[in-house]
Amino acid sequence: MEILGYNFDEFLAWVGEDTDTLMMLIWILPVIIFVFYGQRIQLMISSNEIKKDIGKLDEYTTSTKKDFLNYVKNNLTSKSDPSKKLDSFFDYFTIMPVDMDPNGIITKINHLIRSREDFIRLQINGMFSNLSSVELSKLQNLLEIVTTLQLFHKHTRHLYLTAKKQKNFPLILPLQMMIPFIMEEALALKDAMPAIKNGQPIGDGIGPMIVGQMMLGTTKESAAFETVWSKTTFEDRELFLMKAEGPNATVGRPGDGLEKIISIKKPDLVIMIDASLKLEGEDSASIAKGFGAAIGGIGTERFKIEEIATKNNIPILALVVKQSIHEAITLMTEDIANSAKTVKDELHQMIRENTTSGQSVLVIGVGNTIGVSQ
Amino acid sequence: MSKSKNKIFTCYTSTECNSCKIIKKRKFTDGDIVFATAENCSECDGKMVITKIFGVAMD
Repeated sequence: MEILGYNFDEFLAWVGEDTDTLMMLIWILPVIIFVFYGQRIQLMISSNEIKKDIGKLDEYTTSTKKDFLNYVKNNLTSKSDPSKKLDSFFDYFTIMPVDMDPNGIITKINHLIRSREDFIRLQINGMFSNLSSVELSKLQNLLEIVTTLQLFHKHTRHLYLTAKKQKNFPLILPLQMMIPFIMEEALALKDAMPAIKNGQPIGDGIGPMIVGQMMLGTTKESAAFETVWSKTTFEDRELFLMKAEGPNATVGRPGDGLEKIISIKKPDLVIMIDASLKLEGEDSASIAKGFGAAIGGIGTERFKIEEIATKNNIPILALVVKQSIHEAITLMTEDIANSAKTVKDELHQMIRENTTSGQSVLVIGVGNTIGVSQ
Repeated sequence: MSKSKNKIFTCYTSTECNSCKIIKKRKFTDGDIVFATAENCSECDGKMVITKIFGVAMD
């Protein structure tokens, strides 16, 4: 048999005499392929997985955007068609301050974030008539969900396309490592939409729920923007209670609130109750105690609370309810809701152990208080 | 109802009577807020207060 002048019979006869040669060829061929094309094959496999996730991110962004616009159309009275204006909000970005000289950066970030919030609040308020503060806060939260999902989608797609365009395998590695976490957060954000729309409490609201219950029957006063406080007593100790103003979908401004309370009376102890992200293997709704300011977010509120506490030499204790990111921002689970009683008992125990009769304690319920009044 | 990881969550509201302390669980209705007063107690006609709003996963 001759193909293109090559005698295959002769070749097969040669191979037949020595099977090791055939085996060597079988092994060498893939080695050669992997040496020259290994990275490309890996890039193809990895990028296929990432492509599927980018597709999901796109789907989440589109569906939440549609959900948001439908909610606005069906539940609110607008002066003109709000779709176009709201659509432009989805693309808003925030340029963080320069951090080459970090001195004073917290004040700058705080100013930037508050300016952004004030701007969005003002714009939304101007678009709809008879908008209640609860609806306004819900809209801000919904808008934040859509904007974040859109940002996730755009950035992931950018990294993916850059790696593909430049056929650069190492460029896709960080994305491959990060994408499970991005997807976990994206899914949580998507699933948070129904709870926010219906004004139902979310897992993060456990802190405000506990403090809100303690506030029942007390006189509530404004401590800061969207933040309330009141006074009560517990076993001969004075208790100051503070939380975001419910049932708005807000976390309030506990830093400013603490500043106001300190100006009235300096507490001997601050206890912060918050939801905390559980570590893998930890049980949901389990309770943990510790030291320091239990508050998430970008860090400006925590900075303020730590600074005030340090300046006034007030110890800060933390009581947290562990939960996953999904549980923290979606409808509160039964286990988390049921943990409220245990947390309250732990709080009382903490107060007894760390203060004496006649002293005062500030208890802050940290978190989004949607669907939880006081 | 929200759907996640093949789980469908149904939202429930738990209410407690201020007088007879009976606890009842019903499906969430629009306008339910934790610590707000709800319908009157069917046992003693006392005031029911919403104590919890939570989701239960259905298989």
